[in-house]
Amino acid sequence: MKDHAQFAEDLALYAMGTLEDQERPELEAHLGTCGECRRELEALRADLALLALSATGPQPPQRSRDRLKEAISEEQREMTESADASAVYRLHPRRLTLVPAAIAAVLAITSLGLLLEIQRLKDANVRLAVNLREEQRQSAHAKEVLAMLTDPNAQHMTLVAAKPASPAHIKTIYQKDKGHILLLASNLAPIPDDKVYQLWILPATGGPPVPCGTFPINSKGNGMMLDTTEAPGVEAKGFAVTVEPVGGSKTPTLPIMYAPAG
Amino acid sequence: MAGTGPPNSQDDAALIARLRAKGEDAANAMADLYDRYSGIVYGVALRVLADTTAAEDVLQEVFLQLWRRPQVFDAERGRLAPWLAVIARNRAIDVVRKRPQQEDIDELPISSGVDLEDGSARRLALEKVRSVLASLPQEQRQALEMAFFEGMTHTEIARKTGEPLGTVKTRIRSALLAVRKAFR
Repeated sequence: MKDHAQFAEDLALYAMGTLEDQERPELEAHLGTCGECRRELEALRADLALLALSATGPQPPQRSRDRLKEAISEEQREMTESADASAVYRLHPRRLTLVPAAIAAVLAITSLGLLLEIQRLKDANVRLAVNLREEQRQSAHAKEVLAMLTDPNAQHMTLVAAKPASPAHIKTIYQKDKGHILLLASNLAPIPDDKVYQLWILPATGGPPVPCGTFPINSKGNGMMLDTTEAPGVEAKGFAVTVEPVGGSKTPTLPIMYAPAG
Repeated sequence: MAGTGPPNSQDDAALIARLRAKGEDAANAMADLYDRYSGIVYGVALRVLADTTAAEDVLQEVFLQLWRRPQVFDAERGRLAPWLAVIARNRAIDVVRKRPQQEDIDELPISSGVDLEDGSARRLALEKVRSVLASLPQEQRQALEMAFFEGMTHTEIARKTGEPLGTVKTRIRSALLAVRKAFR
């Protein structure tokens, strides 16, 4: 049996949802009898919320806002249709005013049950429709990535660190006509929390670098980005990656961290 | 979805009330909430997933949950930001670990005691947390981030770092207590 102090250490993991499954029942049983630990769990959740907020910085692209707007409009439309259908059903009991009261009551209850069931099915239908659209969107996304990987005209390039002997490796695939860029990075050097890596197109015309998206890396230095440039059609002679403030920059901050191999 | 009104023109409770009313104005309230908090949700998801597309999916999912079930949120002042941040982190971890959604969103009462509704107060809090994290011993910070932002169990962390299980647990708790202490 663990003592109170040992439970206190488990609480932090429990609050994060990372306590091992076999340790959860004992802690949950203890939580049921220990008010102090329940208060500590609440405090830990608040600490974790502050920790989560520390990741604030990158802003989502406009397309995310448009996507949410579209999903909400669709749900509103579905709900309106559902309410209209229910209104039609509500008219039926009124036709029964001339039949015996007992039968009317039974039918009313039955109708109510049916209405609730219809509403439940409508709600389920809305959820299924939303899920289907999400699946379709993800499928389209996967097809887009696959198309990039198999497009014979896509420009493939490997970037390496400016500093020698670094294991860092970045692969870019660029579809000029669509402006789509896929980036896969591995073993990049860690950067401060208030910085991000940003990709740039180096135009073949020799003009200024064209800003692309920013991308984070995990603790292993790996990251991925699928981006669409604001100006498709730019012929690229190469790509470069710099370190920029969170949110990205319009012009690159030197030095260039990763550049085409060779 | 038009984001009507300037930022912070209404507090979170008023926006949530408009959402709950489910009237024609609900979509505008949702737009205002999105404009206010999408950076938090996206930032957390991106930190966990390190993948912009996957982070956008989590962003969409979290705000759709709020849209469908605004009644589960207790709109006490300053609570929406931490609630959304934790929901986003948990959902992103579920994605990383390829598991279905773990918890019911109703079961996450969060009361930080720190007013995070105001944008400038949020920025100050954010800087303070980052400062605390930067001041932690490297091994403490690493253990905390592996558990929180990568969803690793203490056993997995111990295996990866070669440290004893008890040491990993102690480091995680100590790091969290350091965050708490900075806000007292």
